[in-house]
Amino acid sequence: MNGTRDIYEAETADDEGEFDPLEAATLLDQTRARAQRRLDMRSPWLSLLGAAVVLVAFGALWLSVRGQHPYTGPTAAGLLVMYGILVGWIVVVTKTHRRATAGLSGRSIRQQRAYGAAVVAALVCVSVFQGVLKHDGVSNAIVYGIYPPTAQLIVLGTLGAAIAAGREDWPGFGVGIAIGLVAAGSAFAGPIGVWLSDGVGCCVAVLGYSAAQAWLRHR
Amino acid sequence: MATTPVTLDELDPLIHVPARLRIVATLAALSDGDALSFTRLQEMIELTPGNLITHLRKLEDAGYVSTVKTGNGPASRTSVALTHRGRAALEAYTETLRGLLGGLDTARPRTSTPQAAPRPLPT
Repeated sequence: MNGTRDIYEAETADDEGEFDPLEAATLLDQTRARAQRRLDMRSPWLSLLGAAVVLVAFGALWLSVRGQHPYTGPTAAGLLVMYGILVGWIVVVTKTHRRATAGLSGRSIRQQRAYGAAVVAALVCVSVFQGVLKHDGVSNAIVYGIYPPTAQLIVLGTLGAAIAAGREDWPGFGVGIAIGLVAAGSAFAGPIGVWLSDGVGCCVAVLGYSAAQAWLRHR
Repeated sequence: MATTPVTLDELDPLIHVPARLRIVATLAALSDGDALSFTRLQEMIELTPGNLITHLRKLEDAGYVSTVKTGNGPASRTSVALTHRGRAALEAYTETLRGLLGGLDTARPRTSTPQAAPRPLPT
């Protein structure tokens, strides 16, 4: 011990002693802040990592389709990089989530499971519809170019915004809406440019979210 | 019109104890309808199991927390949650503290020393 331990760490064996209101207010403030941090899986660092993942994953797909004439879609190497990064990201998020929610039970856990199921269902629907487009003879530029990132990001962004609004997580709401708008606007960039535009746009949006989280934590 | 000054006696004695304040403040960080396992609560507030049980019993007797035990034997698990009464008691306690510290400049920046002025109390 260095003699500067904070009030949170000060153990009181006999609890009926003197307890100054100022100390109580500090302890209350520290305990609440510490508990909220430990129970919340969201962190500026995780968001920062998310921004990098988005940029690298979409960047790999853009590099794999750049210069294609006619457009055939992302190559196997590009998809491998994207899925590899995505799997790594899912592992990190899952571990962080498990650590934050260890020992937690009740309504919010049930809600999180329902949200997760809704997101998976939405992504499955997007993929099924992609199959329908292919089946109906729509060009590769749409089926493997404009449609996948646009539809998936619009669904994920707006669904995320709705979930964040339910929790009154306004930075989360903002980034969800921003991702939806970036996805819709990027569709104008065409089947090749859409990957780059989505990657850069979503990366900037998530970086903004990370900055907002950091500011809220330290204000 | 003169207002009656807040006194120390008005602080809820059940909460105005460091260990129990930490328990209640930690449980208050959960969303309504959520519970925390005994083990996680103990890990978060760094109390010995015996100490925690003693304080939880006092809080449970007052109706501030509820505990639910599920399962049997080694697989059993005790979950602890703040009741509506406990949440209201913490809010009242926070208000009383705010009244007691009202004369202090709560906008002063927080320092790392225990005697520093607290940040504005959460509402």
